[in-house]
Amino acid sequence: MELTSNQTHPAFPTLLSGAVHQESEQTRSQAYTTGRKTVGTPFVDKPRMTCRDVEVYYGEKCAINKISIDVGCNEVLAMIGPSGCGKSTFLRCLNRMNDTVPSCRVVGSICLDETDIYHPSVDVVPLRAQVGMVFQKPNPFPKSIYDNVAYGPRIHGLTKNKVELDEIVETSLIKAGLWEEVKDRLLEPGTGLSGGQQQRLCIARAIAVSPEVILMDEPCSALDPIATARVEELIAELRTQFSIVIVTHAMQQAARVSQRTAYFHLGDLIEVGATDKIFTNPKHRLTEDYITGRFG
Amino acid sequence: MHTTMETPATTTNLLHPSKRLRQRYRAERWFKRLGLLAIVLSLAFIAFLFFSIFSDGYTAFKQSYIALDVNFAAEEFTQAKLAHANFPGLVKKAMHSMFPEVDSRRGKKELESLVSPSAAYKLQDMVEEDPKIIGTTQKVWVLAGDDVDMLLKGKIDRKEKQSNRRLKDNQLAWIDRLISDKKLEQKFNWNFFTAGDSREPELAGIWGAVKGSFLTLLITLTLSFPIGVASAVYLEEFAPENKWTDLIEININNLAAVPSIIFGLLGLAIFINFWGLPRSTPIVGGLVLSLMTLPTIIIAGRASLKSVPPSIREAALGVGASKMQTVIHHVLPLAMPGMLTGTIIGMAQALGETAPLLMIGMVAFIVDIPGSITDPAAVLPVQIYLWADSPERAFTEKTSAAIMILLTFLVFMNSLAVYLRKKFETKW
Amino acid sequence: MKVTSILAAGALTLAITAPAMAARDYISIVGSSTVYPFATVVAEQFGKTTGSKTPKIESTGSGGGFKLFCGGVGVNFPDITNASRAIKPSEMKTCAENGVKDIIEVKIGYDGIVLANAKSAAPLQLTRKDIFLALAKDVPDPANPEKIIANPYKTWKEVNSSLPATKIEVLGPPPTSGTRDAFVELVMDAGCETFPSIKAMKKSDEKAFKAVCQTVREDGGYVEAGENDNLIVQKLQANPDAVGIFGFSFLDQNTDVIQGSIIEGEKPTFEEIAKGTYPVSRPLFFYVKKAHVDVIPGMKGYLAEFASEKAWGQDGYLADKGMIPMPQDERKKYGEVISSLKTMEMK
Repeated sequence: MELTSNQTHPAFPTLLSGAVHQESEQTRSQAYTTGRKTVGTPFVDKPRMTCRDVEVYYGEKCAINKISIDVGCNEVLAMIGPSGCGKSTFLRCLNRMNDTVPSCRVVGSICLDETDIYHPSVDVVPLRAQVGMVFQKPNPFPKSIYDNVAYGPRIHGLTKNKVELDEIVETSLIKAGLWEEVKDRLLEPGTGLSGGQQQRLCIARAIAVSPEVILMDEPCSALDPIATARVEELIAELRTQFSIVIVTHAMQQAARVSQRTAYFHLGDLIEVGATDKIFTNPKHRLTEDYITGRFG
Repeated sequence: MHTTMETPATTTNLLHPSKRLRQRYRAERWFKRLGLLAIVLSLAFIAFLFFSIFSDGYTAFKQSYIALDVNFAAEEFTQAKLAHANFPGLVKKAMHSMFPEVDSRRGKKELESLVSPSAAYKLQDMVEEDPKIIGTTQKVWVLAGDDVDMLLKGKIDRKEKQSNRRLKDNQLAWIDRLISDKKLEQKFNWNFFTAGDSREPELAGIWGAVKGSFLTLLITLTLSFPIGVASAVYLEEFAPENKWTDLIEININNLAAVPSIIFGLLGLAIFINFWGLPRSTPIVGGLVLSLMTLPTIIIAGRASLKSVPPSIREAALGVGASKMQTVIHHVLPLAMPGMLTGTIIGMAQALGETAPLLMIGMVAFIVDIPGSITDPAAVLPVQIYLWADSPERAFTEKTSAAIMILLTFLVFMNSLAVYLRKKFETKW
Repeated sequence: MKVTSILAAGALTLAITAPAMAARDYISIVGSSTVYPFATVVAEQFGKTTGSKTPKIESTGSGGGFKLFCGGVGVNFPDITNASRAIKPSEMKTCAENGVKDIIEVKIGYDGIVLANAKSAAPLQLTRKDIFLALAKDVPDPANPEKIIANPYKTWKEVNSSLPATKIEVLGPPPTSGTRDAFVELVMDAGCETFPSIKAMKKSDEKAFKAVCQTVREDGGYVEAGENDNLIVQKLQANPDAVGIFGFSFLDQNTDVIQGSIIEGEKPTFEEIAKGTYPVSRPLFFYVKKAHVDVIPGMKGYLAEFASEKAWGQDGYLADKGMIPMPQDERKKYGEVISSLKTMEMK
């Protein structure tokens, strides 16, 4: 996984040229070469995660094309773009969830606090404890609310006794803004909660193992507007302690919750910048087309 | 609902559906009727089957007993061992004393035949249990012979010519006298539930076969459930997808369809001839039935693993559970009801199987109740088969009664499967 | 969880019983389904009265029995095999090859094969020739007895004008059954030999003789009804025109619903078969591995029980079950074979 600044990857020249060919057909904007240059400010000072020249392949097909971006500390980074642009794929690279897809292959480097997470000696189990994830559809375990939150600390051995565990569960639920609603029914099944509560339970489950980064894959797409608002508030609160990367289809949501926004297009990272800049004054034409609704 | 393009959708049109729509409804009605007819027919067949089995078999739960006043005279017990005493003689004497007027040799023999040969075993058991009764006279209820029992159950026609009856006129007269003296009664047939097989229908019981079935299924469950679940989990969750796993999958599906007798032949060749395990025993039977049940369990297990939503796996992986923890903590518990259902259905199949057991010698006359998995044993369906093939008329009702027992077990197991499925159905 | 406790129980059972596999403390008997109802009674009597373990008896058919019996010496092979025919030289050879050299042959009695129909119809008076003509696949042409033609007879009356004009429909055992072997040998062959031309063929061309005499028709006149004789009895009750073939014990148990056909003027009764005047009867045997007699507990006791007068005697319990006892001198002869454990001469 060494860092290569060359335009073509020496190991996979044919794969890449194939991918380029495909894209130049699909794209109606100007022709570009491999690893289209990202406009804006993809890099930050003191990043939590750094991604350099990340490429993702599903078998022969290239899904992510040489992306370089940083995730800062205590920020919400929103990733937007039309369906199939690779934003979810990229998100799932950040905690190696793509490992579960047998045909998926990741090239380039992704570092968490200067450790390459794709290094062969890196264990994904502690990695996923440090980079937690919240999914599109609320997916609590079919266990009690308590066990849902306590599961992570239990398997990672974070607590010595029941008292400590109780504490973690309580603080996690408080942080997730769910404590007041569920404190009297911790032993009832988590699946009995409403959709929005379930999603907040999933967030509590993710933060119970004290991660550094939380990845959110369209966390509000299955929720009604009120539940959405509640989760968005929560994201804003959580930013003080965690780095959050959120994929979303709702541009208003990106505008509301994020500090930086990245626009993806057909496997390329087109533009990254401060959220208010991106939405008011996009530099790239594709970004502008997308946020003004002319495209996508 | 626009029926034709020309006519505008008016109220008249809605009230009077077009011809096309009427045809559609007619077809629907016919389909419903045919479906209902199919259900009614199959229910009728089942009802008929149950009725015929029950009407044949319910009498088996009662058995005729004759009260004998047996004189355990001390002079009969002079031998060194109690077992060597002439117990059949005691029974005969007791019968003769009840009908002193019978004096011809032939008459005495006909009289003796009213009592089951098992009466002597009963007296032997009594004396061995409590030797103090020697020297006393005891009233003992002993089993009547199978012909007497059949007569009392109305299965021998008194109006038939004497030569064609298994009971002669003088025997009928004795039986009538015994009945009026209240010395011949039908009682609940506990023996049927506690005894092993016997060649005397009145003595034959189902317990040996039930226990044989239990031991055999215990082996089958012990082997096929863990192996089946482990295989299903490995194939579904861990195995790489390549042509080898495809080949394995095809073979497992094939095995599920292989006629069960083939497994019997395999069992004979490997477990008995090669490993040298004893014939006719639950251990071999259980091994053979495991081979037969495994594909069912693996297929059901994989199906239920597949039905666990991927979001649960993602959720577990997302908080840093390892693959193994994800499977053991989350996927397996959710798939377990489906796996148990598959296992129970497989077990129910195994319970009803005779063909493979024929090859490994479990279709055998076995009187002793099996005590362990290495004792020879029969199983329920085998017992039914053997009784159905016995010449004595009284075995007909025993056969039906045994079928009732087997059906009870099967219905119970299948209901358990349905219950488990309903109880743990989709909780996510 | 419950599953684990079941598994634990299973493992425990396995562990406890594992050492018990080494020896066998019960007699293992295989063989003929005809002898099965008799051998089982003796086994039960033996088990119940002596307190020994009851022998295990498998009904495998005579041929299947010999195959298992001749498999070798040792606890994994049966001790005794029952047979409704004498052992064949080829089976003796197999036995010898597998080290089963000392075999004791014991004749236990006779079994009659009967033809019977429902009580609601008239009893049939048949000769073996009638039966052959009714059931063979090919029969001599009535016009020219030298010529063999496909069986043209559809009714009993066509076979013999004194018989009723009912359709020929005989329910009998399949070829795997010992009863079928005996029936073919005792009835078909004998009926066949009443034709001089075919009898001559026996010497000149035995194969052709067997083909003519022993092949049963397949055009619906003969119905293979499976090994279950009870089923045949039930079918006879339902269809008064049908005739069934089975062992005497089934007739004996069902005299109220079916009647035996008279063959060559003899009724199939207990007395006639015992006297030997009823033509269709066969001896029943069992064969004992001498090497096992002193190894397997209870062998001598079982043999003694079988050879006792109360079992195989004139009024013994085997007679009650429908076995035809041997005459006094034969019983004495085979009784001595058992007590002296006299083995057969190996051919």
